[in-house]
Amino acid sequence: MKLLTEPELAVFRKDFNEVWHIRSVRGTLIGVPACMVVLLPALYLFLVLYAPSDQLNGVDNMMKLMPPELLDDFDLKQSMFYLMVNLVCPMFFLMIPLMSSTTSAAASFVGEKERGTMETLLLTPLSARSLFKAKVAACAALSFLISAISFITFSVVVGAGNLILNMPFFLNWNWLALVLVLSPAATVFGVIFMVLLSGRSKSYLESMQLSGYIVLPLVLVLIGQFTGLIYVDAFWTLLAGLVLILADALLLFLSARKFNSELLLKK
Amino acid sequence: MNAIAAQSLGKSYDGKTAALSDLTLRVPQGGVCGFLGPNGAGKTTTVKLLTGLLRPTSGECSVMGLSPQSEPERVHALCGVMTETAHLYGSMTGQQNLEFFGQTAGLVRAQAKERAELLLRELELWEARDQRAGQYSTGMMQRLSLARALMHEPQVLFLDEPTSGLDPESAQAVNEMISALAKKSGVTVFLCTHQLRYAQDLCTTYGILYRGRMVLQGDFAALCEGAGCRIKAGIRTEPEQTLHGFVKNGEYWEAEIASEAEMPAILRDLIAQDIPVYEARLIRPTLEDVYFSCLQGQEVAE
Repeated sequence: MKLLTEPELAVFRKDFNEVWHIRSVRGTLIGVPACMVVLLPALYLFLVLYAPSDQLNGVDNMMKLMPPELLDDFDLKQSMFYLMVNLVCPMFFLMIPLMSSTTSAAASFVGEKERGTMETLLLTPLSARSLFKAKVAACAALSFLISAISFITFSVVVGAGNLILNMPFFLNWNWLALVLVLSPAATVFGVIFMVLLSGRSKSYLESMQLSGYIVLPLVLVLIGQFTGLIYVDAFWTLLAGLVLILADALLLFLSARKFNSELLLKK
Repeated sequence: MNAIAAQSLGKSYDGKTAALSDLTLRVPQGGVCGFLGPNGAGKTTTVKLLTGLLRPTSGECSVMGLSPQSEPERVHALCGVMTETAHLYGSMTGQQNLEFFGQTAGLVRAQAKERAELLLRELELWEARDQRAGQYSTGMMQRLSLARALMHEPQVLFLDEPTSGLDPESAQAVNEMISALAKKSGVTVFLCTHQLRYAQDLCTTYGILYRGRMVLQGDFAALCEGAGCRIKAGIRTEPEQTLHGFVKNGEYWEAEIASEAEMPAILRDLIAQDIPVYEARLIRPTLEDVYFSCLQGQEVAE
């Protein structure tokens, strides 16, 4: 059974290319991941390697966040890198599917409305549901691709750090749950979030500003982890992923029902 | 069979003001309906209702027996729609745009390419086929939009101001293409236009819309009757001569007559009175006369 019919595939290909060829969107799709998976981990690694740890503030407090069973295995530099990779980087990484999905969906849904091409698409013999399916698939596919490339790049950067610091490879159950469950679920969530906004947003920029709210929970989790209030391990990551998948299914159903020409063409 | 039918169709965007009310119309298959009216009269709203882009607040409509509200995709498969607000992809070339829309209509890539090439040649866009649509002039974009609406060889064509913003040459090319489609291919055309002279040549039936209401509709004779526009006898005689029962209009003396059959009697009468007749002519009302007479009547009534 084919997931998309030939006309739907035409929309899928068109959206995939069109979104990628918008300069501002491409800038975000390359810039945010490059910052999150290359620049920040590399900077931190540099800091860990060359900054004198006794002169850094808050190192003692940071060490309290280390899992007790690992304290004996890692020295100070290794522990600092471990904390970065397992407390901070997951949140940074999660921003990639969220940002790439909301950005591509904003360009695909709100951008088309803004440029007046949504009406032309709605006049084709494709049903609103088919258009919805093809467009969601294109945005999600682009975001999956960006996330996959980002993870491979991140693995190379952090793997290099692991080698330099003589530590085991960073990949653990938490990262696996993040990459295989939570990240895809967040991608779909980002796309649907933007579809639901598309009826209300008048412009691509407006919708991008609103999409900032989607990153807020991540910032809260990050703060929570640093204060020691919460610790997100593999179980919680997996659970969050599963809850998000359920939410995705529900929102997908709701947004598909709301995806109609009258709402989309509302000024 | 009626290609387009609407029964008591109404639409309000805000629940208070009616953008369209109680519209009833029928366009037979193969007919060309000229839909006329000033800006804001409800022409575009009617097109959007008939093509399923909007849901009516009252009444119902059908295109080729299908409801645009419950089966929009089937209606779109039979219709080509060109509106001022339906744009093309500026980042894609003219040919890519046409091929893409051909594929969304179910054509395989080779068919879409062949059809796109044919239309690009017919609408004189062949030289610009590899140029990005965003770089097209207004006239080229209008022609490309028309080509897009024709990609899947529709049976019904909805055209909302297809020649707006075009120079006279481009407008003529577009008009000739619509004319040929209607006459040779039997395509039903629903044409919203302000070009009354052209509409009169092309259309078989008309509807005049004013403030969301259909104020006059039918063939040209029915329109003339409804607007009170009649044939006039025009006589040119000596400059100092006065004709009783006629009104002076420039060089001519004019009088309304019921039909052209009255003309010989008028001439006989003038000759019997020994009045020199330099020229006698029948002045038939044009669509422009009917349109303005109808709108003036509406304004006076309000």
